[in-house]
Amino acid sequence: MALTPQGAGPAGDGIAAGTADAGGPADDVWLRVHPASPFVRGWVALAALLFFFGRDSFERLLQGGPLFDERLAGRAPWLLAGGGILLLLTVFGYVLSWYFTRYQVAGGYVRVNTGFLFKQQRQARLDRVQAIDVVQPLLARIFGLAELRFEVADAGESAVRLAYLRADEARQLRATILARASGASGTSGGSLSPSPEPGQPETAAVEAPERVVLTVPPPRLMGSLLLSEQSVVILAGGIASVLLSAVTENRSFAVFLIPAAIGLVASYWSSFNKGYNFTAAVSPDGIRLRYGLLDTQAQTVPPGRIQALKVSQPPLWRLFGWYRIQVNVAGYGLAASAGEGSARTTLLPVGSLADVLEILALVLPDPGTPDPLGVFTAGITGLADAAGTPGSGGGQDTDGGFVTSPRRARFLAPLGWRRNGFTATETALLLRSGRWWRNLVVVPHQRTQSMALQQGPLARRFRVADLVLHTTAGPVAPRLIQAGLDEARALLDAQSSRARAARKRQKSEHWMEPAAKPAAPPADDPQEGPHHG
Amino acid sequence: MRTEAIDPPGIDWLRVSPKYVTVRLAGWALGNLIAVSLLSLPLVLVLAGAWTWPPVWLGIAIPAAWLLLALWRLVLIPRQVRSIGYAEREDDLLIRRGIFFQRTLVVPYGRMQYVDISVGPVERPLGLCTLKLHTAAAATSAEIPGLPASEGARLREQLSARGEARLAGL
Repeated sequence: MALTPQGAGPAGDGIAAGTADAGGPADDVWLRVHPASPFVRGWVALAALLFFFGRDSFERLLQGGPLFDERLAGRAPWLLAGGGILLLLTVFGYVLSWYFTRYQVAGGYVRVNTGFLFKQQRQARLDRVQAIDVVQPLLARIFGLAELRFEVADAGESAVRLAYLRADEARQLRATILARASGASGTSGGSLSPSPEPGQPETAAVEAPERVVLTVPPPRLMGSLLLSEQSVVILAGGIASVLLSAVTENRSFAVFLIPAAIGLVASYWSSFNKGYNFTAAVSPDGIRLRYGLLDTQAQTVPPGRIQALKVSQPPLWRLFGWYRIQVNVAGYGLAASAGEGSARTTLLPVGSLADVLEILALVLPDPGTPDPLGVFTAGITGLADAAGTPGSGGGQDTDGGFVTSPRRARFLAPLGWRRNGFTATETALLLRSGRWWRNLVVVPHQRTQSMALQQGPLARRFRVADLVLHTTAGPVAPRLIQAGLDEARALLDAQSSRARAARKRQKSEHWMEPAAKPAAPPADDPQEGPHHG
Repeated sequence: MRTEAIDPPGIDWLRVSPKYVTVRLAGWALGNLIAVSLLSLPLVLVLAGAWTWPPVWLGIAIPAAWLLLALWRLVLIPRQVRSIGYAEREDDLLIRRGIFFQRTLVVPYGRMQYVDISVGPVERPLGLCTLKLHTAAAATSAEIPGLPASEGARLREQLSARGEARLAGL
């Protein structure tokens, strides 16, 4: 449990795993995480043990009975001793794991050594960082501790998790990592002299200044939860069960409602807890998100790490003009655990159109169009005129240059055909869809991985085709629905060349470095493959 | 190869080996043998008198329907194999497949993370292999099955070289 090396994931994308005796600069400073962390990490085990042994006795005390059951009274010392030993072993395991976990930020790498029986040394290149999170679960927050998560593009588990550091130390370490990764400290990765200890303020980097862009007030968050898709489904389910019980005159349906209600409250609470006090800020190191009521989390996504973005609006949110923004970031991957995962990939839980445009401006600093406001607004709310101007046009200026499904597709998608469409700016491809569930997907040109044109037999009858853009794992799956065949083919070609041109323009991974020498990729570690992203 | 409506015009598709039909047939035979024998189990049990419920006509109809579907797919296999094609362009690799549900895939060389070559038990005696490209996107699933081994090796080297020349970040 505590002794196994954490996350024996695939050794790819800037992670190199090996045994501890494989070397490493022994003269450098290795740091341990905070001494209290084994207890904070093991608190669940402690709480469970206390709960099992404590509950029975507590109930007896409440009922005025003796502390122990008479039958158990004779054996109580044994039980207590067994529990105590179990407790000690657990804590000892966590302490061992703490003792053998050491980390270092030096020479363009972050390195972590873990393991007692099975040793693991892991190193991740700083400039491969996709995101850095500072997470504070409730208990850690009480002790003033925080967990640091370092994400690289392996679409799964965090490459490096340091649990727990002192909160200010974690922030300091984050600033140091970001400064190294961005190239702001002057030297690029690989040529750094041994690292200054991150705890020392005179040598460590200062945190980049930030500007708060928007916050989500709690009433709006509550409103958005009440009007979410979830609520619609619940309402429908509730009505259905009431109808069923009325029709069948069977009261037992009500019994099923009780656990459903409990689950419901828990789910709403979790969303509220995650989304509370959501703040988005921008700094030279990228977009910063902070949120959480009891468990707080602070994410930093450096510039250019967002692979795809989706603005969506459930039907009921239209009453208030609210939208949600979700993103694909290579390190976050798919929502692993529902609550945490979806919160991490949400760039804006609920916001007005102005908020959405503000966030879009952060993600796409160069929208690549003279009229970003018109184009994005058309993408979010626009609709082609009913005549469905064929071929090239889409609507005129009113529709932001979106090319929608041809009029002949109206039998396939009677509602959506005026909405499903695409437009391309200099820097990004915009795909919009959905009349009821409005969606706008934005994919920067240099982030397209591959593309596929797909067509089924029905679509062939109507001479339409779907264009699917492949991006890293995440909640956004860009797909152009039912574009006219000629438009789709032209777009496939045009988009390939646009993506090619954008890749050539792409700056180095050190986002603060002067944009010179764009062609020279950073020298890779010899044990890595020729190319990792 | 006939250029299908969905493909970009003016591309000379390279076809996979016709021997790949044998691989598909082997897979088809094995899969359907198992499926039909499983579906026939109720019929056998009813005829043996162990079960009473499924009437004999139903016991016959279900595996028969499956068999009919399988035969239809058998007829399609040669055409499906003929529909698989790939083309190396200046900056990307095109892969197409499908008759009814067509798909044309574009993978830029600079986006390739690695290339796999695998050889299955049926492919080996036929001298075939399957080449798979991986990008950072799991959805890419760029696979060229039924390549002659020499062509597979050539393509792998070619792709790796081009990928290295054009590599880009994520």
